[in-house]
Amino acid sequence: MRRCAFAISLTIVALVAGWVGWSVFFPGPERVIRRSLEEIQILATFSASEAPLAKLANSRKLAAYFAPEVQIAVDVPGRPVQVIQGAEDLLQALMAARAQILSLKVRFLDINISVADGRQAAVANLTVRGSIAGEADELVQELNFWFQKSGRDWLIRRVETVKTLR
Amino acid sequence: MQKNMGAAAEPSSTPNWATVLFVGRDPRRTLTRIVFLIAGSLILFKLLLLPIRVEGISMLPTYREKRVNFVNRLAYVLHPPRRGDVVAIRLAGRHVMFMKRIIGLPGETIEFRRGKVFINGRLLEEPYLAWPCNWDRSPERIGPGEYYVVGDNRTMDWNDHVKGLADRDRIVGKVLL
Repeated sequence: MRRCAFAISLTIVALVAGWVGWSVFFPGPERVIRRSLEEIQILATFSASEAPLAKLANSRKLAAYFAPEVQIAVDVPGRPVQVIQGAEDLLQALMAARAQILSLKVRFLDINISVADGRQAAVANLTVRGSIAGEADELVQELNFWFQKSGRDWLIRRVETVKTLR
Repeated sequence: MQKNMGAAAEPSSTPNWATVLFVGRDPRRTLTRIVFLIAGSLILFKLLLLPIRVEGISMLPTYREKRVNFVNRLAYVLHPPRRGDVVAIRLAGRHVMFMKRIIGLPGETIEFRRGKVFINGRLLEEPYLAWPCNWDRSPERIGPGEYYVVGDNRTMDWNDHVKGLADRDRIVGKVLL
């Protein structure tokens, strides 16, 4: 009886360890996308003390999360509509933003991910909260990120603002 | 010998003040109370009354910045949202929500004329407004399942104020206080 209980306990421990190991070494699309979004918000955040070389390096790292044919359309109330097409345009825009804004803090909240199209595409719906140095009000906007699987990576191919109130 | 045993047993029967202070006279009862308190608080503040902190000037003068309030999630269980209700509208989730007042109901037509709101052509009395507004907007039909929401502070430009049609499923609940 005691041997049987020990065997069952051992099996349960082995199954749990196996499941944890599997999810660490072979994470599902949702987990990979979540991690990407976490890294994007870290790279999109910068302070006034960021060195020029770090600005370039971080902009390049950030642009690497986007597909070469990326389309970004940002329509925020009270600001002009911004459309970016292609990774090169995006890199230029990121560099310009880092040059013009003193500091920026970006946070992604309430991330909802739905994977579709045979686990080759996914949409992440989230709220972005941005604090820009010198501006009293925080920027709050709902966004949709369309991801496409490219090899082992998930790249962003489209970003669009969601009109919470129409 | 008996006297010594009695003296030794005495301290264990009366717990010291620190024990009484932190775990009470009956630790089992204290633990049960803590479990009930945590479970009750979780149910109350995660499911029924969502605590919020007001940010921004959109709802001035009714709601000032940095004030704490609650969103009653059960407010619309028995009846749909009503005109004049201040509601919380979710974005992607409930970490950040818009706090707005409902002024237009499904099926109605809303119009702004020199800052005054007209519903189906009739002037809407808005005693909660403190400052003048100059918004002009042609009549707009509110679809089924939609509510027209706006802040109480309409002193800013039309484009700088977040307002418009909110789907019913985005309305999380009614602001309590």
